[in-house]
Amino acid sequence: MEVKLAEAAAVIKTYITLKKITLIIVIFAFAKAYSQQDSTLVYKKRVLETTEIDFLTSYYTQNGDNAAVSGGLGTEELTDITGTFIISIPLNDDDVLTINAGISAYTSASSSNVGAFDDGPADPFQASSGASSGDVWSSISGNYSHSSDDRNDIWSVNLSIANEYDYFSLGFGGSYTKLFNEKNTELSISANVFLDSWTAIYPTELRPFGNGGDGLNNSLFTQNTITGNSNYAPIFNEFTETGRNSYSVGLGFSQILTKNMQGSLSLDIIQQDGLLSTPFQRVYFVDVTDSFIDNFQLADAIEQLPDTRFKIAVGGRLNWYLNEKVTIRSFYRYYFDDWGITSHTASIEVPFKISNKFTIYPSYRFYNQTAADYFKPYQTALSTETFYTSDYDLSEYNANQFGIGVSYTDIFAKAHLWNYGLKSIDLRFFQYDRNTTFNSNIITVGIKFVHD
Amino acid sequence: MIKKLVLLTFIGTFLCSCVVVKEYEKVTINDPDMALADKKCDKNVTTMHSYREAAAGANGGKTGGGCGCN
Repeated sequence: MEVKLAEAAAVIKTYITLKKITLIIVIFAFAKAYSQQDSTLVYKKRVLETTEIDFLTSYYTQNGDNAAVSGGLGTEELTDITGTFIISIPLNDDDVLTINAGISAYTSASSSNVGAFDDGPADPFQASSGASSGDVWSSISGNYSHSSDDRNDIWSVNLSIANEYDYFSLGFGGSYTKLFNEKNTELSISANVFLDSWTAIYPTELRPFGNGGDGLNNSLFTQNTITGNSNYAPIFNEFTETGRNSYSVGLGFSQILTKNMQGSLSLDIIQQDGLLSTPFQRVYFVDVTDSFIDNFQLADAIEQLPDTRFKIAVGGRLNWYLNEKVTIRSFYRYYFDDWGITSHTASIEVPFKISNKFTIYPSYRFYNQTAADYFKPYQTALSTETFYTSDYDLSEYNANQFGIGVSYTDIFAKAHLWNYGLKSIDLRFFQYDRNTTFNSNIITVGIKFVHD
Repeated sequence: MIKKLVLLTFIGTFLCSCVVVKEYEKVTINDPDMALADKKCDKNVTTMHSYREAAAGANGGKTGGGCGCN
């Protein structure tokens, strides 16, 4: 009897054990099935959720006494107004098309003196009327980017066209970006080509000495009196090459350093060839007797620069999220080229959040450069030299730029214009001063809308 | 000397980084002010620099072409 009871107990125990095992197997099977089902549901966030439109506008003014148009002596006064639309359209989960269309209109006392004798007494410090006193630059570009499903690979291609009265540009390029290390590290490579062409505009007094010109018999000289050296004989040949090509390759590396800090390094290698001189920039020789009409010194020549230029720029950024209020953004760049220019650029910006919606942006930027080998200040070039320019943008100088800005951001984009919500408004002002006579100011406004 | 110090600081900073920050820890890294690029509204300022200064590149801006600058 006791044996039977023991056998029955063993059977029951075995049954219970089997039941437990079966239950565990069933639970594991369900768990496995569920986890497999879950692993097939990879959530893929759209690269860009909705269409975004940025409108940018700026008002720029500059002044100085070293206009390149008048050989390094004359007003550099210029004002420029720009308007740009940048529209980013998500084509699907992975692809984004960005179109950038802009227009810029300037009036310039400096470039007006390409034709300094259009009206009234000619003077390098006075604006002249006429075709060269202003121009409109217009541009359109497109960028198409594709991201892989895991968002670790990004390819993009771009195409751009820009046009102004004496300059046309066609550009194209592409880039590839690879993210890894759980998107903590990013490597990128890019390449761009610009195929540009000049419609060469020369200083008025030189045109009679160009192809088919009538020299001193031209009405400019018969209707005006040449003072100083009346036997005016400039060195002038029209440029036969009017194309300018630029090729660049860029490498980028960025790294998240901590939860609050990230940085990047970048390298750009640029090769340019073609007409790198600006056809309407005068040069005055120290070894040639001066000729004048009114107060305006007649050009001895136009600037002559080599037809190739090789440039390298190395830059780094380091951004630090100090706390909920303050972020520090820093940038440094070292640049050099085979025209003898080396340059340092350093900037710091400290965004300060004063509320959930408003941030202020104080900034400072320092820039310096050495002079190009071919730079000669006003009336110091020799007529026997091969290359010369009196463009003070290629001279040695330091520049300081102070900036202040304010940004309004509404992450919910409550305010509306048709079907577009207002996401942000940025207002910035920058004051730029060289240690020469040049200074400039720029006010920029940026408004971002997002489609509902 | 200053150049070497800047270079060493950058190299040291990057090489010392062995922390992997997870996606859910990137709240501050993803703050718009932490972007490793100029803000869009500064585009025209960068363009102004490329017109008036000899140096260009390594800042996300244009490296030449497209206008009479550089």
